[in-house]
Amino acid sequence: MKHELFPWLILFLPLISVAVITLFTLRSKMVSSLISIGAVSASFILTVLFIAANGFHPEVPGDVLNWNWLSIDQLNVDFGLKVDALSLMMTLVVTGVGGLIHIYSYGYMHDDRSLSRFFAKLSLFTFSMLGIVLANNFLMMFIFWELVGISSYLLIGFWFEKPSAGDAAKKAFITNRLGDFGFLFGILMVWGLLHSLNFSELQSGVAAGTVTLGASATIAGLLIFCGAMGKSAQFPLHVWLPDAMEGPTPVSALIHAATMVAAGVYMLCRSLFLFDHGALQVIAYIGGFTSLLAALMAMQQNDIKRIIAYSTLSQLGYMVMVVGLNGPTPAMFHLTTHAFFKALLFLSAGSVIMGMHHEQDIWQMGNLRKKMPITFWTFLIGSLALCGVPPFSGFYSKDSILAQAIDQHNYLLFGIATFVAALTTFYTFRLFFVVFLGKEKSKAAAHAHESPFVMTGPLMVLAVFSVIGGFIGITNNFESQFAHEHESLTMMQQLLEPFHKPIPMCLGLGAVAIGFFAAMSIYKDAETDPLPARLGGLSKAMANRFYFDELYEATVIRLHDFIAAVFDWIDRWILEGGCIGLIRGGTDFTGRALRLMQTGNLQTYAFLFVLGVAVLLYFVL
Amino acid sequence: MNASLISLEISVIGLGLVLMLADLFMPAERRKFLGYAAIAALGVLLLASFAGCGSCSLTGTAFHGAFVNDGLSLFFKRLFIIAAILVLFVAVEFSDRLTAISEYYSLIVFALAGMLFAASANDFAMLFVSIELITITFYVLVSFQRNKLASLEAGVKYLILGALSSAFMIFGIALIWGTTGQLNFTELAAVASQFADSKIFLLGVLLVLVGLGFKIAAFPFQIWAPDVYQGAPTPTTAFLAIGSKAAGFVLLMRFLFSAIPSITHSHALSTMLIIVSGITILYGNLCALPQRNLKRLLAYSSISHAGYLLLGVAALNANGQAAILYYLAGYLFTVLAAFLVIALVLRQLETEDVSGLAGLNQRSPLLAATLTIAMVSLAGIPPLAGFFGKFLLLKSVVEAAQTTGNPGYYCLLFTALVGVVISLYYYFNVVRAIYWSKEPKDVSPIEMSGAAKLTAWLCIAGIFALGLFPNAVLNFALLAVGGLK
Repeated sequence: MKHELFPWLILFLPLISVAVITLFTLRSKMVSSLISIGAVSASFILTVLFIAANGFHPEVPGDVLNWNWLSIDQLNVDFGLKVDALSLMMTLVVTGVGGLIHIYSYGYMHDDRSLSRFFAKLSLFTFSMLGIVLANNFLMMFIFWELVGISSYLLIGFWFEKPSAGDAAKKAFITNRLGDFGFLFGILMVWGLLHSLNFSELQSGVAAGTVTLGASATIAGLLIFCGAMGKSAQFPLHVWLPDAMEGPTPVSALIHAATMVAAGVYMLCRSLFLFDHGALQVIAYIGGFTSLLAALMAMQQNDIKRIIAYSTLSQLGYMVMVVGLNGPTPAMFHLTTHAFFKALLFLSAGSVIMGMHHEQDIWQMGNLRKKMPITFWTFLIGSLALCGVPPFSGFYSKDSILAQAIDQHNYLLFGIATFVAALTTFYTFRLFFVVFLGKEKSKAAAHAHESPFVMTGPLMVLAVFSVIGGFIGITNNFESQFAHEHESLTMMQQLLEPFHKPIPMCLGLGAVAIGFFAAMSIYKDAETDPLPARLGGLSKAMANRFYFDELYEATVIRLHDFIAAVFDWIDRWILEGGCIGLIRGGTDFTGRALRLMQTGNLQTYAFLFVLGVAVLLYFVL
Repeated sequence: MNASLISLEISVIGLGLVLMLADLFMPAERRKFLGYAAIAALGVLLLASFAGCGSCSLTGTAFHGAFVNDGLSLFFKRLFIIAAILVLFVAVEFSDRLTAISEYYSLIVFALAGMLFAASANDFAMLFVSIELITITFYVLVSFQRNKLASLEAGVKYLILGALSSAFMIFGIALIWGTTGQLNFTELAAVASQFADSKIFLLGVLLVLVGLGFKIAAFPFQIWAPDVYQGAPTPTTAFLAIGSKAAGFVLLMRFLFSAIPSITHSHALSTMLIIVSGITILYGNLCALPQRNLKRLLAYSSISHAGYLLLGVAALNANGQAAILYYLAGYLFTVLAAFLVIALVLRQLETEDVSGLAGLNQRSPLLAATLTIAMVSLAGIPPLAGFFGKFLLLKSVVEAAQTTGNPGYYCLLFTALVGVVISLYYYFNVVRAIYWSKEPKDVSPIEMSGAAKLTAWLCIAGIFALGLFPNAVLNFALLAVGGLK
């Protein structure tokens, strides 16, 4: 393996950037942003160089990438990096898409007075995310998992003066912690049963049959899945993601499109060998259900970022579903293309929001095609990719998901996925028609302006990848990781791959067409939303997210508050007042009493000394 | 006999004499620099002992086995020299409050010589002489601020109680010699088991322990410590807290594990050690609770630390003995860091009250950090030296409990943990006074000389280095206690 130092550098450059910015350059916005952008770009370049030198499957000799961090009895915890096709592809996505978002942020956040703090947090997030990706064992992954949690908390609550941002940050963090709690139990279970946390050791052990989870496999798998449920915002822990839109838009693009939410799916693919059939079934249905639920909710949202956020939820549901259908390659493929086009959509939406002077209600926009031509085109490309129109990248990845469902003969999930594809097209083009076409619906829309190049530049790069992402060999890399034997497809073969399975392709395209024409007939030139009048109560339920937040408020949070009140009482009166008060008072009193022995009188001292000797002699002799 | 074995001691005594003579020729305003000269000379000796040049690190015995150079003595000699260097730094900072400063330096160096002899003592005569050399120089060092009543009072108390303990000890030595006819530790070890049932012999052993218990301020012979620590000049207190205590411990270990190992491992004596250790820990920590005077607080804290160190003695195993050595090394930097800050901060103040630290973090962030780190290390919080030392001591007690099955060890363990919890309160009270005092009266910055800054950084580095990379010192300590039983 060449360049063995590179993976360490890739991981730690962003951390160095955090340290330098917070310790030295907080006062200079320009320098701080350059350091942060430089760090992530350097990581990206090093990743490319590393892959160029070693390919996607480097031979890793011995302990080069492994450092024994903790060793207690049987517990050996390494701090090591795992480089294979899966982690290298993911590193490319995190540093590449992340790097573009860093650059975009410089334009978007230019006037914020805490820009340095923003970039420090962005770098911290990148470091944590790379840690998850490169970790070679569960414990290290969990540590970085939590670091991602805390850095996303910091980023969502970046504008902490706004109470809503603070609340959203707390909600995201606490909801994630719930999932992580299960994850931690899962990890402990794996260690307890298999005596190892190292991915490679576990995988070879499970493959060789030397270790097995046995009857507990389903429980362990579901506990581990809890972690993914939190990070990838799967039902019932999906509630944090839409609220997290309170953070700055680049953060939404980075965390809620390209990286953090992808961590759950990545972790599932990394540890797929641990899951048994039962656990995978549950995972698949939860994913399918989430994708349906979120798509329905997205139909009646009016905030441009929230629509995209629900769409993210829905697409994550797709990925989780296909992992559950034993299809890690389609899942990672969709994750990668989704990172391109969803980051593109978020950043384009950010450009719209900036052009509209921080207006986010789509019913205040309209006819932005003229005012913001570049954003219009990039948004259109992102939308087409999201809906899955050939030959955009989303078409290929979504098609592979549908094909996997058919292959596994799970027709219920195939039906749901196809239906969701129609819904996706519907809400995406609802957004598109209302925002970019039609008439200006407010004065702000009439005075909108295009964003500077530092923002549109990244948009164009992402747009290119959203178009070509489907056939530049992404599947080949993942296939080489997950399949025992595979042949690399040429670009032409990749272009034509969906035609091998015409049924899912045709049904998928049919769904897209239905969704598109429905959206066009309802929303072309619409001034207000006609759907609430037609759907009535259902529309209200969709707009209110099916009352999940209210439900949680009434049950979980109430119950929690009650338990907290009881414990508060016990702590205050019984522990603090009774136990601790007595012990503290007693100790204090003894101390004061003993002090009286110290009279300062020399005769007393000498007497006590001799008394001590006498006691000693009496005791021993 | 190989006289070159004592070249280190000879050099140190020579240094003390040179310092006294130099006082005659040196103009008064430049005498402060004699301190730096002494530091430099001791630094050279320390380096020599590490580099192994000359005969500083030779092993062997001299004076018919009365003087022994081995790993244990080498460990302690280096410890004493480092302590003396740091104490001299504090003394230089303190010099404006003392008259006849060069005498003060030379007395520190003479006390150091006593400690070096103590580290090598393998004979009751050597033990007694070295203890007296240390104690008598300390009588003078304690009462050195002749214009201060408290200092004189402390000197008198130390003198009388010290004399009392010496009387007990010499009586004990006489009894041991009377029953066994041996003064040399190695020869005594060969015959001690025959006298296990002799009450007279046991009485002698106990009386020697009384004398050593006085040196280390273990219960019930701790009574002098608070008054003397409080009244003595700060550098003296610092040297008393680390140098004198460490000398007491090396003699105690030699006596218990090299001269009378068979008696030490008997039930009566080991039970006594457990009880004394437990009570000392509790006594020190409980009395420190209501203390507001910083030096007195540290005196009680020093009593409790004597108790912790006795854990390693009571454990009666090699790990415990090595833990003592390690703990003393960490305690050295921690205590000297604390006394350095006290010497500098309380310079202008009449009181030595904790409230004098108010606003220190604004007046001098370095001093505030130094004292905080020292307190946190004394409280035993990772990753500092104090934590790892306590961890090793407690671990040795657990091992002893497992091997002997004596439930007393579990009680001792529990007592030690309770003591640690109590100590958190008063150590963090000091930290609170530094950072969270309301409306500090004086916010003028504290001037620090370069040497003071260097000392502070040395202490901080020592505390962190021992806490983070314990292996080097620990391995040396394990090697050093190899000769003990």
